[in-house]
Amino acid sequence: MWLKWFDFRKKSLFHISYSLHRLTGVVLAVYLVMHLSYLTSLRLGRGVYEYFISTTLTPAFLGFDILLVLAGVYHGVNGIRLILHEFGIAYELRRPILYLCYVVVLVVWLYASYVLYSYVMGV
Amino acid sequence: MEEMEVIFRIKRFDGEREYWSNFVIPAKKGMTVLEGLFYVKENYDSSLAFRASCRMGICGSCAIKINGKPKLACETQILHLNSNKIKVEPLDNFKVIKDLITEFEGFFVKHSRVKPYLIRKEDNYAEPVELIQKPSQLSKYYDYSLCIKCGACYSVCPASSSRDDYLGPAAMASAYRFIADSRDEGYKERMEIVCGDCGVWRCHFAGECSEVCPKGVEPAKAIQKLRFKSALYMLRKLFMG
Amino acid sequence: MRIRSDIVIVGAGLAGLRAAISAAEVSNQLSIAIISKTYPIRCHSVCAEGGTAAVLSEEDSFDLHAWDTVKGSDFLADQPAVELFVREMPNEILRLDNWGCPWSRTDDGRIAQRPFGGHSFNRTVFAADRTGFHEVHTLYERMLMYPNITRFEEYFVTNLAIEDNEVKGLTAIELKTGELVLFEAKAVILATGGAGRLFGFTTYSHQVTGDGMAIAFRAGVPLKDMEFFQFHPTGLIPSGILMTEACRGEGGYLINRNEERFMKNYAPERMELAPRDVVARSMWREIIEGRGFDSPYGPYIALDLTHLGEDKIDERLPLIRSASIKFAGVDPVEEPIPVRPVAHYTMGGVHTNMNCETNIRGLYAAGEVACVSIHGANRLGSNSTAECLVFGRIAGEKAAEYALKKNYYPSTDFLKEEESKINSLLKESGDESPYQIKSELNKTMDENLWIFRNEEGMMDALRKINELKERYANISITDKSRRFNTDLTFAIEVGFMLDLAEVVVLGALKRKESRGAHFRTDYPERDDENWLKHTLAHYTKDGIEFSYIPVEITKWEPVERKY
Repeated sequence: MWLKWFDFRKKSLFHISYSLHRLTGVVLAVYLVMHLSYLTSLRLGRGVYEYFISTTLTPAFLGFDILLVLAGVYHGVNGIRLILHEFGIAYELRRPILYLCYVVVLVVWLYASYVLYSYVMGV
Repeated sequence: MEEMEVIFRIKRFDGEREYWSNFVIPAKKGMTVLEGLFYVKENYDSSLAFRASCRMGICGSCAIKINGKPKLACETQILHLNSNKIKVEPLDNFKVIKDLITEFEGFFVKHSRVKPYLIRKEDNYAEPVELIQKPSQLSKYYDYSLCIKCGACYSVCPASSSRDDYLGPAAMASAYRFIADSRDEGYKERMEIVCGDCGVWRCHFAGECSEVCPKGVEPAKAIQKLRFKSALYMLRKLFMG
Repeated sequence: MRIRSDIVIVGAGLAGLRAAISAAEVSNQLSIAIISKTYPIRCHSVCAEGGTAAVLSEEDSFDLHAWDTVKGSDFLADQPAVELFVREMPNEILRLDNWGCPWSRTDDGRIAQRPFGGHSFNRTVFAADRTGFHEVHTLYERMLMYPNITRFEEYFVTNLAIEDNEVKGLTAIELKTGELVLFEAKAVILATGGAGRLFGFTTYSHQVTGDGMAIAFRAGVPLKDMEFFQFHPTGLIPSGILMTEACRGEGGYLINRNEERFMKNYAPERMELAPRDVVARSMWREIIEGRGFDSPYGPYIALDLTHLGEDKIDERLPLIRSASIKFAGVDPVEEPIPVRPVAHYTMGGVHTNMNCETNIRGLYAAGEVACVSIHGANRLGSNSTAECLVFGRIAGEKAAEYALKKNYYPSTDFLKEEESKINSLLKESGDESPYQIKSELNKTMDENLWIFRNEEGMMDALRKINELKERYANISITDKSRRFNTDLTFAIEVGFMLDLAEVVVLGALKRKESRGAHFRTDYPERDDENWLKHTLAHYTKDGIEFSYIPVEITKWEPVERKY
């Protein structure tokens, strides 16, 4: 029953976007917990914190990080679209705005991935 | 294409078990899915149960899932589906009584909960007086009054499928239709219901309801507009009591 | 199971809903049950399109509306009833306005009115071209306000319980479970609508099978003027979907294959806005004489709206445009719509007086099921939705007054008898298919009881109907389960229709004249000397007996009917 919201067979792009928004929301929530737990390691001393962080800033984690950035960018940009529409603004333009949203997500994500990649790989 | 043989694959339910039945229909140009269902009933299996009345898309009886999407059977032409296998199932999110007939009682109860009638302080039954309404005021809510209560929106709403008590897109569109009607004086009463636990705030704009509505009512638009009004109403209540 | 109420209303269309509200307004102590075989907003009344006539303007008058109605009825209407009807209408329109109906408006916000066939003044109030739809939803939503009205949705009424000429209640099948329920009531109002599915090419919904008429008939209530069936000029081919009279009201033309507006030869003054029987006959004559267009679905006449312009069509006729595109593939803005006369309204029905009372104490009837008669031999457009509102109100009030005065609840053992009848019907295993019987009934009605009738054709029809009745005794019902058995309800409906078809054919054979919608090529003239009277059909064990009652004429003597 509770998985019904993720059933996107034969549904429009609007419904799919809603499902993805929920999925990325869950992913980001999990990430937030992880991130906070890493941060709290600061109380054990700067060295412990830097050790934890250095394990994640490696090429092995790059794949996860890029996907995480995608989730974050998607949730943020789509979120702005939702805030706009959920207050009754520009509903008639919902289709162009949806497509624009996906374009923006793609562009921002590709650029962010490029920056991340360059930093981690030392290019 | 003038004629084609198609197979109707219909999901059946007799109260105890679910099963599928296949029937071959000689589909002609202009033949609707509803006509196909009547063909099955008259020639193959007269125990097939489905709701149908007006056959012109105004009564809302025949909303079913055709090839995965909710549509009115009387308005859907078989040859326009571009497939020779037509999967026919009852609407989602409703309990199935028999074959394609689903339980609509709950749907109408939810509709009645938003007080979908014009509320006026003075109810003059014996000597009514004409209420003035300019065409521009009429057009503000008219499109939302076209809802035929077919249940298609409710069947694709993810909020309705995850929670049984959400009022649903049709009821919310109905609430907005009255709030936007210049003759209505029941704003406060309806707002209390709509801002409540099972009202606008359960919607997360999946937007599928507007995509499947056969009459172009746009319930998603009504709900978002209602949400804006709800936000203002709740803020006003919070700060001004 | 037994359910007890003060008033039971059968049918939740315009008349039934209005009666429920009216009874609830009389007293909130009355318990009112409203039974329908579908959910109320799925009734056939939602298909009504054009409008509802009422005298709202200073320049119009009650006498003019009444005169239009009486002349339109070919002088068979009972004039006191017509005069009552026109005087009650304006308030009904205003009440609907107060209850939320989205009437179309003029620029300064007043309720708009449009021209319509047979009316000498533009008095048809409308809500785009979905008037019936909006009226039904408004009444349904208003009905939700009254806590003493209980709805019994998807209950199929099978019989009335009548003892000592008093109504005791009725039996109905709860479709969901298949259980037979007995409703005991002080008063019963029938509002079950017409019997249009007797015909094959018809504007009616699938569910309009004359249930109330047939049940009342078998229970001893006479049916009046059943031979008068209205054929609406413009039905979309091949589905029969109604193209409202408002198309012609807003300025549409009827064109034959020679590109002429042929109505100038039949009704030079009113042209396309002559009453429906005149226009239907003219169109049919054009078709028989070879001046119709050809198509794979038979001959047709063109309804031309192309000169109205897209804006006007989208504003005043949006449903017509979308129905025409969806069901005939034709956009009225670009091309004319293919139409043909189609069976549309049952002028006849259960015999009632002006107070909606029948000859059985406690039994009332309102709407299309009843024949008061205000439509006589032909109904004017936009007068039927009006009739449902006015007489729905009257029936509700009278039934409520009757129920308040009655100080006992009738009780009856009728349930057992009816149960055994239904059980035996279910057990039947003959070899006739009820679907086949209905389709043959439709064919013979379409051929012989159509716009132009004659003795030979009607005798053929009578023979066929008798044959079908014999075969009906041998039907088989495939679905033996109780749960939502649409097979069983269909078979019962076919039985009702066969009864009614016999009444229609016999009445038509007996009436040796042409009046209104009943036109015989062998008796083509109106015969006021012998036939200015209503036909009454009574059900007896030995067959159907006919009697005649005079028409009530007060103000207007019959004159030649020219348009």
